[in-house]
This record gives sequence, C-alpha cells and structure tokens, in this order.
Amino acid sequence: MGGTELLQFAFAGLKNGSIYALVALGFTLVYGATGVINFAQGEFYMLGGMLSVWAYASLGLSLPLAGIVGIGATALVGGVFEFTAVRPRKDGDPLALIIITVGGSMMLSSMARHRFGPTERSLPQFSERANLTVAGAVLEMQTAWIVGLTAAAVAGLWYLYNRTSLGQAMRACAVDRDAARIVGIDTRLMVTVSFVLAAALGALAGFAVTPLTQTAFDVGPTVGIKGFAAAILGGLGNPVAAVVGGLVLGMLESMSIAFVSSTYKDAIALVVLLVVLFVRPQGIMGRSGRRKM
Amino acid sequence: MSLLEVRQVLKRFDGLIAVDGASFEVYENTIKALIGPNGAGKSTLFNVLTAFDSPDEGRIVFDGIDITGFKPQRIVRLGIARTFQNTQLFEEMTALENVMTGAHAVTKSGMLRGAFRLPSAVAEERDIVEEAGRLLRLLGIEQWTDVYASDMPHGLRRLLEIARALATRPRLLCLDEPAAGLNTVETATLAEALYRIRDKGVTIIVVEHDMGLVMEISDEIVVLDRGQKIAEGPPRLIQKDPVVIAAYLGEDDSDDM
Amino acid sequence: MMRKGGVDLRILVLLALVMVSLCVVPLLTSDRYQLKVLTLVGINVITVTGMALLFGFAGQVSLGHAAFVGIGAYTSAYVVSTLGWPWLIGPVAAVVVAALGGFLLALPSLRLRGHYLAMATLGFGEIMRVVFVEASAVTGGPDGFSGIPYPSLAGLEIDSPAGNYWLVWGVAVVSMVLSANLVRSRSGRAMRALHGSESGAMACGIDVTAVKVRVFVLSAALAGLAGALHAHVIGFISPASFSLHVSVLIVAMAVAGGTRSLVGPALAATLLTLIPYADAVIPGLSRPLLDAIQAYQEDAYGLAISAVMLFAPAGLAGLLRRAVAVRGWRLA
Repeated sequence: MGGTELLQFAFAGLKNGSIYALVALGFTLVYGATGVINFAQGEFYMLGGMLSVWAYASLGLSLPLAGIVGIGATALVGGVFEFTAVRPRKDGDPLALIIITVGGSMMLSSMARHRFGPTERSLPQFSERANLTVAGAVLEMQTAWIVGLTAAAVAGLWYLYNRTSLGQAMRACAVDRDAARIVGIDTRLMVTVSFVLAAALGALAGFAVTPLTQTAFDVGPTVGIKGFAAAILGGLGNPVAAVVGGLVLGMLESMSIAFVSSTYKDAIALVVLLVVLFVRPQGIMGRSGRRKM
Repeated sequence: MSLLEVRQVLKRFDGLIAVDGASFEVYENTIKALIGPNGAGKSTLFNVLTAFDSPDEGRIVFDGIDITGFKPQRIVRLGIARTFQNTQLFEEMTALENVMTGAHAVTKSGMLRGAFRLPSAVAEERDIVEEAGRLLRLLGIEQWTDVYASDMPHGLRRLLEIARALATRPRLLCLDEPAAGLNTVETATLAEALYRIRDKGVTIIVVEHDMGLVMEISDEIVVLDRGQKIAEGPPRLIQKDPVVIAAYLGEDDSDDM
Repeated sequence: MMRKGGVDLRILVLLALVMVSLCVVPLLTSDRYQLKVLTLVGINVITVTGMALLFGFAGQVSLGHAAFVGIGAYTSAYVVSTLGWPWLIGPVAAVVVAALGGFLLALPSLRLRGHYLAMATLGFGEIMRVVFVEASAVTGGPDGFSGIPYPSLAGLEIDSPAGNYWLVWGVAVVSMVLSANLVRSRSGRAMRALHGSESGAMACGIDVTAVKVRVFVLSAALAGLAGALHAHVIGFISPASFSLHVSVLIVAMAVAGGTRSLVGPALAATLLTLIPYADAVIPGLSRPLLDAIQAYQEDAYGLAISAVMLFAPAGLAGLLRRAVAVRGWRLA
C-alpha cells in the first residue's frame, strides 16, 4: 500500500474519529455529572442531523442557521430528557437509569420516525469549494469541516471548563459530587447542563456528518456504541481522553479496513470496547484501577 | 488455646497508615472487644480480620491456619462469620430467608438439584428451615419469621443479622458495632443474646462504642489508638489504664468510660 | 403495612387457571395465524424467564441477549438443516453453545458492574449481529437461513400449528416451573442475595462472581433454547431477528414484568409480544388501527420500561401483589 492511499485512509479515520470524539465527549460529560451512562446519547446525534434537515428543508433556513436550529433544538431535547426521564429517579440507581435511558432512546428514535418518516435524509455540503489534494490524497471539504468544527467544539469546551465558573462547578461535580454540593454548587443544575451540552455535542456531530453519510431515525445506536467505545478507550470521565479515544478509534477502524478487510469493520469498535472493558477498564489514559467502578 | 492470632498487621490507605502493626490473640469461648477513639483503625482491622480487606503486612492465623489473603467466602467456610456496622441484610427476603441464606456455606445443593427438587435438596431445605427457626428463637425474633427484612425495626435487624451470621455455623463471630442505634432495652437484649451465643461455644469479637456494653460483656479488651494497640486486658484493668484514659480524653466526643 | 413472604395459594390457583386456558386454546381455534402468534408468545416467555432470573432475581442486566437467541437459532438450524442430524440434537446443541457463549462473555464481564456490564453485553450483541451477517457460509448472511425443518420427535414431524403450540408451551411451562423451584432453592437464595447486598452475600460464604456467572449462563441457555424453537417453528431466521432492538425488547419484558417474579415477566412478555399482532387476539380489529398500533409499538415499549423504572419499579408483579393485598386476600 502506497503512502497516498494510507493518507487517504488516515483522512477517513480522522473524520470518523472526530464524530466519535464528539459523541464520546457527550458520554463523558454526563458520566462526570451523574455517574451514569446515557444510553440515549446516540439519539442526540441522530436528532442533530434530522432536525437540521428539517430546519433546512421544511423551514427553508440557510444551512448555518439550520445547523444552529438543529443543534439548539437537540440541546433543548437533552435538557427536557434529563428533566423528565432522569431527574425523577432521585436515588440515581445505575441499573434503573440504564433502563430509563434505553427506554428514552427508543422513544426518541421512534418519535423521529413518526415526525420525519423512515427514509434517509441529507444536507448539501457545507461549502462548494473543490476538495483539497494533499500529497495525492483527496481531502474532502466536508471532512475538513467536520474536523474543524470538532476542534472548535473541543476548544470551546476547554474554555468553558477552564475559564468559566460554570466549568469549574462542572469539574468539581465530576471529581466529587457530595463535596461539590457541600461547597454550595447546584449539582442538579450541573446535571441538566451536562445533558444539554452532551446533546449539543452529539447534535453537532450529526449535523456535520449528514452531508456525507445521510441520516435516518435509526442511526443513533450504532454511533452511540462507537462513541461509548471511544469514551471507554480513552478513559471514562475525562474529556481529553474522550477526544483522544475518539481519534484513536477512528484511526483503528480506518487502518483495519486498509490492512485487514472491510468485512468486520463495524465490529472493530465493539471488539476494542470489549477488550478495553476486560483488560483496562480505566482506559488508556486513566490512572486509577478498578476500584472506582 | 487461642482461636485467632493477629500478628503485626499493617494496613495503609493512600500512604496513611490505618493499622500499624497490631497484634493480639483471641481465646476460644471468650468475648473480646476491640475499642478505641474514632479513627483508631478499628473498622479497618475488623475488615482485615474478616477478609473483606487484605493487610499490607502481617499475618492472621485462625485455628492454626494462615488465612491472610483468603477470600471472604473461604473464611466463612473455615468458621468466621461477621455482621456489618450498616446492616447488610437482604431487604427483599423474609427474616427466615435471610437466615436460611446464611446457611449457604454449610449446605451444598446445586442449581440442578434445586430446580428439580430432588429428594436430597428437599431434605436439606427442611433442615435449613429448622435450623433457621432455631436461630430466630435463640435471638428472640421468631415472631418476625415471615416478615421482610426491610419492614423490621432497626434494633431487631441487627439481631437478624447476627442470626444470619450464626447460620454459617461459625466458631468465631465478628460483630461490627452491634449496639449502634439501639436503645437501652434493645442493648440489654443484645447482651443477653451474646452470652447465650458464647455459651453455645462460639467465640466473639466485637467492635463497639457503647462502653457500658463492652465493660459488661467482654472477657478481654484490646484498645487501639492511631492504628496501634495501646492496651490489652480485662475490662477492670482497661478502665483504669492511664494510657487508655489519655487516648479517650484526647478526642472530642469521648465516650463515657 | 407489613409484608409477608411465602407462597400465595391464590396465585397458584391463578396459575392453574392460566395453564388450563393455555391447554384449551388449541381446542378452541384452528386458525394458523392465531396459533402461530401464541406460539411466538411462548417462545418469548422462555427467553424472558431467563432474563427474569438475571435481572429480577440477580440484579444484573444484559443488553445483548438477542445474540444468545440468535446463537441458539443458528446452531440448531445448522445442526439439523445443514448437517442433517436428528432434530432433538439441534436444540440441545443450541443450549450448549449459547451457554458456552454466555460463559465466555460472563467470565470477564461480571467483574464489571452496572453500566459497564450493560455496555459489554451490548457490544457483544452487536458483534454477534455482524457475525450473523458476515459468516454467511453458516448463517446464510443478510438474506437469512430458510427452509429450517419443523421439529420432529421420535421420527414424527410436528408440522401442525397446534403441535408447535403444544411443544413450545410445554417447554415454556417446564422452564418456568424449574425456574420457580430454583429461585426458592439454596442457589436461588444466593442469586437473590446478590441483588440485596453483595457484602451480605459474601458474609454468607457466597462466591459472588461464581453465582453471577451461573445465572448469566443459565439465562443465555434459556435464550438459546428459545432461539432453537423459534428457528424450527418459523422455519426462517435472519440477522434482523436478533438485533439490538430484540435485546432491548427482552429487557423491556423483564423490566415491565417486575423484579422477584417469574409470572410478572411472563405476563409482560405476553402483552408486549401481542402488541404488533393485536389482530390475532382482538377479533374485528380494523386495519388502520392495527397499523397505528404497530407504528407506535416502539414508543409503547420505551414508555413502558421508562415509566416502570420511574414510577413502579416492582412492575406488573408489583401491581399484581398490590391488587392481591387490596382485595384483602390472606397470604399463605
């Protein structure tokens, strides 16, 4: 295999990796605030795409505006989801919350099907400029957009976490919820904020990827699992690790297609997930051992 | 002779030494109390003794067998049973079923025999029910037999947990603050029960804050302070020991000695 | 109010009534469609019984159980159809292979707790779905495996809908009775103890990991058995029959049925299975209404399990128990 081809696969890996990173960030944010895995995270990705398509095609908004509406509406759904499905279960029992979010996930995808139908939907490319050619490999403009938007979202999140009092409060919650409550942080609000942010990040991924892959009511679970695999691979609860995990997973998938075969490409993320869970559940960047699980 | 020997046990948590080279022995058919001010390392030592935690250094020898590093289920089979400071009952089972579950280690019907209700399993089950009933009577809670654990009053739940521990047919019974949250009447009932249990040939270790109870029931007391053993002996000597008094005066919520 | 344990005689009477009505059904109807739907219900009752043991009694969850149903279905189909071995070997092989798969997954997974276990099983389920699609030499690939022979016992092929109904419900009732015995036995108490308090279980000398593995294997085996029956009764299987969606449905049945119960989940399995086939049990159901019911079945499942977890964690079984208590029936 030549360098050009390899570069081509690397671009594909970068693109998918960015998507996984955004979804993984959503898992990690909610996990940090609540200690639970939100099984509906993939549906936020689905909604981001579907609602943007709706805003673009049915409302006739311009593409950027449609994206903002799609992401904003999904963020709202995230907040409502937390408020109606997660918050009422006050004891925070993990088993119960798994099932509640699974049920919520089913309802979200089903509602999307009722509203938007079972067909695949798409958006135009974000820019009409010609694709770039790097050392003979084609870098699609949309891929550049996806990577760029992901980078911008990560930078924004970094700023939020490190430079704002809201971010400080969220970090405090992630480290120790009880202690955060004692020092006067509204931990319940932080949970809602984390769901809203997680939904927005997932929606951004769904919006950005729709011009390339199309979207439909049932795309949520697959991407959800891969995003979770990325979060676990990096180390659950750590935003930097989520991004690294996403990119590594995207590259692993791409390279496995390049060097092994494409037959089992969808299983790669799952095998990675199982191996990491069994061998190193704290992830490649995690420090602590099994105790915290 | 000594049933349990604790030799130079040391346990660290994140660099802090919780138990610092404690050694003592427990003689058969006695009640030994483990006391000390808050943060003295009693609970840590208790968890090490009952194999819920493993020591960083030192050995624990039970009846001549070095049990250091054994798993809880294994030491239960050897004859060490425990209760918990925060009762760990099976809330959705009745009192009887809780005690029957305690008999797990001393019975052996597997899944197949249970599913097909083979005669051996049925006979074993009958024995367990009888035994559990006997234990509930021993602790005076037989009228609660068919009540779910979650519906029992706090004090009786502690007695139920002791009954469950006894169902493992222990030679050594380890009780973690059995009197916590009990009123004086309930505490008296508890003391009564502990004598009866000892008289049945069971050795008892008890970690306890209620000094009245400790002084009344124990044959010997070990006093821990900051992870180290500072005194050991019969209650009347411990009560007068200046080192012990100093240790207890050093803390704010000193218990009445 | 003080709750008491023990066997409820009225529930036993109720069970007897259910059994009798089960037996009467094939005498009342010879409608192929109706019998086929009720046979499907029986198959799901077998699967959910395994899930009830895992979820309702041992407090664990698997989001990949459809994979075990699939493993059972493909194993039995392969053994009987491709290899041409006698029918009975198929389901037996299905149970063995599914149990083995359950064991291999459980061993590393069950050291993990809660959502990690859920995700591991979910990942396993998805891997198996990819395998069902890709290993087309054995499974027939995305087009599925067709022409699977009907069950046959002692050289007699059971090809009538009523025959299949009897067979499946016979297996379902035996599975439930054995499971009911199990949860009341020493091993059953160990399972329930895990759910109550792992520390408490350890203090009783229960090997927590070993019990978890055993329950998981048992539930996988029951799923495999249900899968084998499904393959032979329907005659066709494809990867879509064993998707994540099905795994979630199995959990939904167990959750809606309630914990500490086998009857509740079986009832929930019956109701949830019947939703898309409502026309089989409600005569004269109009086509548009049926279409609407089918369109909204996902919503119904999702709403059912979320609502149960939020407002009635004891599920259908809890409602039944409460109804019995309200009626003032004494508990034996």
